[in-house]
Amino acid sequence: MKSIFKTMMLSAIASSVAISCTDLEEELVGDITSAVSVSAPAVGGAGGGGGDALAGAYSQLQWSGTANHFSYFSLQGLTSDEMAIAAKGGDWYDGGVLVEMHRHTYGPTNGIIGNTWGGQYGGIGAVNDAIANLGLSANEINQMRALRAYFYWRLIDIYGNVKIVTQPGQDAPQSNRAQVYSFIESELLAALGATEISANTTFADTGLPASSSVYRINRYGALGMLAKLYLNHAVYLGSEDAAIYAKAAAAAKMIMDSGVYQLCGAGCSVPNLGKRPDVAEDPSTLEGYAAVFAANNDNNPEHIFSVNFDEATAGGMNFAQMTLHYASQLTWNFQDQPWNGYAALEEFYNSYENGDARKANNFIVGPQKDYGGNALNDFAADDPGGIVLDYTPAINELEPNSLRQAGARLGKFSFKQFGRPDMSNDFPIVRLGDVMLIYAEAHARSLGDWNNAETLAAVNAIRTRAGVATFSSLTADTFLAERGREMFQESSRRTDLIRFGKYSSGTWWEKGPSPAHKQLMPIPFDAIQSSNGTLSQNPGY
Amino acid sequence: MKKNLLSSFFAMAFMFIAQGMYAQTVNGTVSSEDGPLPGASIVVKGSGVGTTTDFDGNFAIEAASGDVLVVSFVGFSSQEVTVSGQDQITVFLEPDNELEEVVVTGYGSQREKEITASVVKVEAEDFNQGAISDASQLLQGKVAGLQIYNRGGNPNAAATIRLRGISTVGANTQPLIVIDGVIGASLANVDPSDIETINVLKDGSAAAVYGSRGSSGVILVTTKSGREGRISLTYNGQVGVTEALNTVDIMTADEFRAQPGATDLGASTDWVGAVTRQAVTRIHNIAAAGGSGDTSYRISANFRDVEGVLISSDFSQFNTRMNFSTKALNDKLTINVNTAFTRRQQNNGSMESLKYAVLYNPTAPIYAADYTLGAFNGDQFGGYFETLGLFDSYNPVSIAKQQLNQGNKSELNYSVNAEYSVTENLSVNLNAASQVSKYSNKLYNPTTLYRGGNATSPIRKGLAEFYDQTFSFKLSEIYGRYTTEFGNTSMVLTAGYSYQQQNFEDHFLSLGDFPNEAAAGIDFINAIEYSQDLLNAGFIGANSNATPDEKIIAFFGRANVTIDDGIFINASLRREGSTKLGAENQWGVFPAVGLGVDLNKYLSLGIDKFKVRLGYGVTGALPGPNGLSQQIRGFTYDGGQGGGSSSPSRDANPDLKWEEKAETNLGFEFRKGKLDATLDLYSRDISDFILQRSVDVAVYPTGTRFENAGKLNTKGVELALNYQVNDAYNTGLVLSTYKTTLEEYVLEGGEMRANLGAPGQNATAVIKVAQGQEIGQIWGPVFEGVNADGTAILSDINGDGQLVVGQDKALDENVDFTELGNGIPDLELGWTNQITFGDWSINAFFRGAFGHSLVNTFRAFYEPRISTQGSYNYVNTELAPAGLTQARFSSLYVEKADFFKLDNLTVTRNIDASSISGIDAIQVSLNAQNPIVITNYTGLDPEPSLVDIGEEGNGADVLSPGLDRRQSYFASRSFTLGLNIKF
Repeated sequence: MKSIFKTMMLSAIASSVAISCTDLEEELVGDITSAVSVSAPAVGGAGGGGGDALAGAYSQLQWSGTANHFSYFSLQGLTSDEMAIAAKGGDWYDGGVLVEMHRHTYGPTNGIIGNTWGGQYGGIGAVNDAIANLGLSANEINQMRALRAYFYWRLIDIYGNVKIVTQPGQDAPQSNRAQVYSFIESELLAALGATEISANTTFADTGLPASSSVYRINRYGALGMLAKLYLNHAVYLGSEDAAIYAKAAAAAKMIMDSGVYQLCGAGCSVPNLGKRPDVAEDPSTLEGYAAVFAANNDNNPEHIFSVNFDEATAGGMNFAQMTLHYASQLTWNFQDQPWNGYAALEEFYNSYENGDARKANNFIVGPQKDYGGNALNDFAADDPGGIVLDYTPAINELEPNSLRQAGARLGKFSFKQFGRPDMSNDFPIVRLGDVMLIYAEAHARSLGDWNNAETLAAVNAIRTRAGVATFSSLTADTFLAERGREMFQESSRRTDLIRFGKYSSGTWWEKGPSPAHKQLMPIPFDAIQSSNGTLSQNPGY
Repeated sequence: MKKNLLSSFFAMAFMFIAQGMYAQTVNGTVSSEDGPLPGASIVVKGSGVGTTTDFDGNFAIEAASGDVLVVSFVGFSSQEVTVSGQDQITVFLEPDNELEEVVVTGYGSQREKEITASVVKVEAEDFNQGAISDASQLLQGKVAGLQIYNRGGNPNAAATIRLRGISTVGANTQPLIVIDGVIGASLANVDPSDIETINVLKDGSAAAVYGSRGSSGVILVTTKSGREGRISLTYNGQVGVTEALNTVDIMTADEFRAQPGATDLGASTDWVGAVTRQAVTRIHNIAAAGGSGDTSYRISANFRDVEGVLISSDFSQFNTRMNFSTKALNDKLTINVNTAFTRRQQNNGSMESLKYAVLYNPTAPIYAADYTLGAFNGDQFGGYFETLGLFDSYNPVSIAKQQLNQGNKSELNYSVNAEYSVTENLSVNLNAASQVSKYSNKLYNPTTLYRGGNATSPIRKGLAEFYDQTFSFKLSEIYGRYTTEFGNTSMVLTAGYSYQQQNFEDHFLSLGDFPNEAAAGIDFINAIEYSQDLLNAGFIGANSNATPDEKIIAFFGRANVTIDDGIFINASLRREGSTKLGAENQWGVFPAVGLGVDLNKYLSLGIDKFKVRLGYGVTGALPGPNGLSQQIRGFTYDGGQGGGSSSPSRDANPDLKWEEKAETNLGFEFRKGKLDATLDLYSRDISDFILQRSVDVAVYPTGTRFENAGKLNTKGVELALNYQVNDAYNTGLVLSTYKTTLEEYVLEGGEMRANLGAPGQNATAVIKVAQGQEIGQIWGPVFEGVNADGTAILSDINGDGQLVVGQDKALDENVDFTELGNGIPDLELGWTNQITFGDWSINAFFRGAFGHSLVNTFRAFYEPRISTQGSYNYVNTELAPAGLTQARFSSLYVEKADFFKLDNLTVTRNIDASSISGIDAIQVSLNAQNPIVITNYTGLDPEPSLVDIGEEGNGADVLSPGLDRRQSYFASRSFTLGLNIKF
């Protein structure tokens, strides 16, 4: 009895050790670890039923600061004369980083500068991964190269001297700005299937196709990116070259002449999703300029390449939260209370003449009403007008005690009723209105003449669409102001001010002249610290 | 009658039937030099028949002539008496002076003198008393080096437990809990009143045999068990009242109205008073214990109904525990079976309502009907008033009363231990244990709740969230023990194998947008089919996770050698493997060795005890998340086109290896006459600690990954003193201090952690972590005064004439910042006093911590007289500088948080119950927790904050101690009446 038990026990021990022994393989059951892409077969099995393997890479545009707080959008806007976030007593001081952006006293530890860097490289990493691991078609690889070039364009524009990484997990030395310029140019040309851009450029069949979904990069999307690169070449290369301006103009002209895209003007309209049923002054449709940026701008004819945003399936656009006063929640019945941050500068707001359709669309000013049309209370008695919310274009101070209702609000990408913190408006990376102004400017610069007929025609087409009188003549300054009015809130202003030499030397509300080296952002402290000495800081920081 | 039923039940259930025929009833008395001994055990040897003496030391037992009675009592030498016809037996027990404490040390036990590591034993009589809602509270302040802090004392929050400070920056910061020899159970599943002793293994050499799970120390809990003899029944009941001890100093409605710029809404409301209450705690425990022959058992049932001081926060818990032990095969096989089950329902309350109670406009009315300055339609908000349109301003009473936040928890542990003596020298042990704990939570923001319920929307309101999680743990262990002696040396060799597996899964569902018709009279959480999110499916939140099988596999061996009964050597080696590390680095080898010498034996020092011990042990530590060696990818759909693709969401680190903790401990144990002292000195190195760090985003597209990131060193001293002043008064003091330094760190320029957060203090990280410096530095500018324009004057600390004080410039070389305080105390103290006279005893326990600071975030956010604050309320402590109209972080909000308090005061009276039949003893006690607190800290609770919970209150950053966040529960004081009856 005893010995039987002993034997049983010992064999049980031996077998339990043998079975469970030492197997330590980790099999993840709740995470995806393999590179997968799915595209649905077309009905009838003919293939190409839509969908591609690029959704992961393109979605990086949603999260790389295109339309959310504390990254690319904030960097491009807050450092310019377009907009500011004033410290409102207990709100929005945030360690002083926002005031730093406005006054150009930022340094390498500013979180906005760090986030912008991480966002673009995150996008580049996703592209590199897709090219290496997802078994892409030639067209898809072209798109990925163009998308990567776009992320690098943001990097060259902001930081200048960056690493050009093209393989997943593979480090690269830091390139200088001119090298990055060449890389972006050659990548876009390769994706287009072209050797250089001129009026006579032909595109190889292996290049990007002439048409595609607006959320994918086609020939015209890539040309638009190339035009922006060429337009800014003097900033990136250190000297102006009329021939490169001519290339910018040629690229833009090809888009304008393609006939694929139209300026959204009279008759180009969508239902107004922000309309309050009981408020008569809310229009029932949004037409022209307003339709380009509306929550239902999905099929707008002006969009060439856009970032797809959707309140449920493609988050990352938070303008309503970022700009509106807390109480405005009750105007649009937002799910969440807004944050009351961004506001336009008074001077910039006043640069629009009355009757400019863009003024009405781009800003929210005046006493506010709730969903039912009643006066909207903010329950704060420390500002003029008592407890009623009244957005005043004037901002009393940048810090520390800006009035909470001060400042015209950013309304370009208009809001819809019952909106979510994530908005549904698509954000154009390349749109025809922008391309026409690129053409106008590049052509003028290549000729050294702001008053050539082509430039005036393009600018006046934009002004006519906005419902304001045409210009009979132009200067660099009037052109810059016009471009500012058109491109407000589209992350263009910092780049434009630098190109026109106004960024550091220019002065505006609460901003004096800043040192010239501030035109290039510092390489973020975190990036340098984690790079094991492979990144060095930009001059001046 | 009941007792008989119970004993029959057990006798039948376990098929041990008392045997034998008894010829007579033998009566007797048991006494000692102090008089009669109640409760002594009398057993007929070899039969299982037994009884205990009554209050006067009398007993009666059925025994035949020739039977041997074994008479025993704890602390006395047992005696055997042969029955030989006498009908009255008188037994006199001698005190057992040789009684040696046996201490459980993991995979076995040792005599106290043989232990070479720092091990502290705390017995039930030394536990903290009163309305204890969690077993960890029993030990608070009792063990030098063991830090237990439940800031504020939320009854539904677990305490932070730390042994000797930070032990890892990863997941496993809390000591391993071992209950009755079985690892992995949680303290939440042990009712405090079931615990007999707790041993704390403090240093690495003792814990090493447990491996990585014991890397942060080990707490061994021994529950009460049955003893051979008659069934004893115990009842323990407590009723307590708890009230908020301290609140944030804010303005009354009248004070607020007098402030320039204040928004007067016409009413006067004490918001803090409106969301707090005098909370009642009720506790009942019933336990039955007994045994016969080789079988013993104890079962208990425990009920706890605990209310929190915040209205709508409470829990109600039912716990049962059964311990059963028997022997078979000629006593060679011992089997222990333990099971414990806990069922708990809790209302979590809303911490936010405490925050909003502090900052809400005191001139706002609670109810809309009481708003006198205009029309306000309160129907939409359930009748409550709301200051619509203000940032982060919500009626706290509305939240507390309307929000449902209900958790249900169940936890089941069972374990079997079988020990078989193969020979006299060799035994084999098998341990099998299982733990399953489930938690589910329902959160419902009704359609009339402004905060989170979207009550302002005309047609889409309310939010329902469902969450459930299941955690399971399996343990199989086998180990053998071989005992041998040669000459004056004895040796115990232990070797074994351990297999541990844990799994976790959870599910989450959220949906809302319910219709306008709240008058439907139902809570839509019970009818989510009416959610309009079902029409817009993208608005439904859903999430599920399951971990892989997380396995730890180990082989271990240990030798305990005793030479000459005066020199003790313990050595162990453990080879341990984990699924969580890179394929090449899964296995680690972790040694430990300890030496102890009874110097008193070899040097005639004229004292009672002088032992010196030296221990060194290495343990491994693991990261929290799984799959860190593999690349994790996310999947993105191609917006309705029917395609999609995956892209990296977390970068892999295939080289991830064990974090190692090496600890050296030197201890001295001293006793002379009435004085006992233990001194421990230790140094602890944590190398290759595993931390998620930022990496070069150009190479690793997600920008962070887990790496072996640096090295920490902690040096500490612990002293425990006990002095028996006289027969009536015993006093004990424990003191501890330590310093932790970050010796190496991959981020050589350091980093700032712990962002203060919204509103207005984002990008305001206040804790500096840097190579070569101490952990816990609060880092910022120094406040000097107020400028005429209301801004703060900050010091030009480096005197370079340039003021660099932006919080994002914290790591710049020329920044004018300094260390404003440290979140970790310099000294922690616990002082026990036990006074006994006659039937009365008084236990007064004082506790203190000194040298630590806290960032008082309530003040940092709401004290400056900034323009916006006039819509809320002002925090108004005596530290508020006049005229400051700027909210920015500085030394102004960093306060020393030294405190000394009478933590626990218990007065107990034993009542003579000999006249009441069936009752052996009655004890009545009155307890006060936190009756006296001395501190200059102006915040809610001066207790150290060892872990930063983050802006949202759901984080756990061990590298950022020292933040008193706004999500803190209010500290409380309680008074408890207790009744203990033994039948």
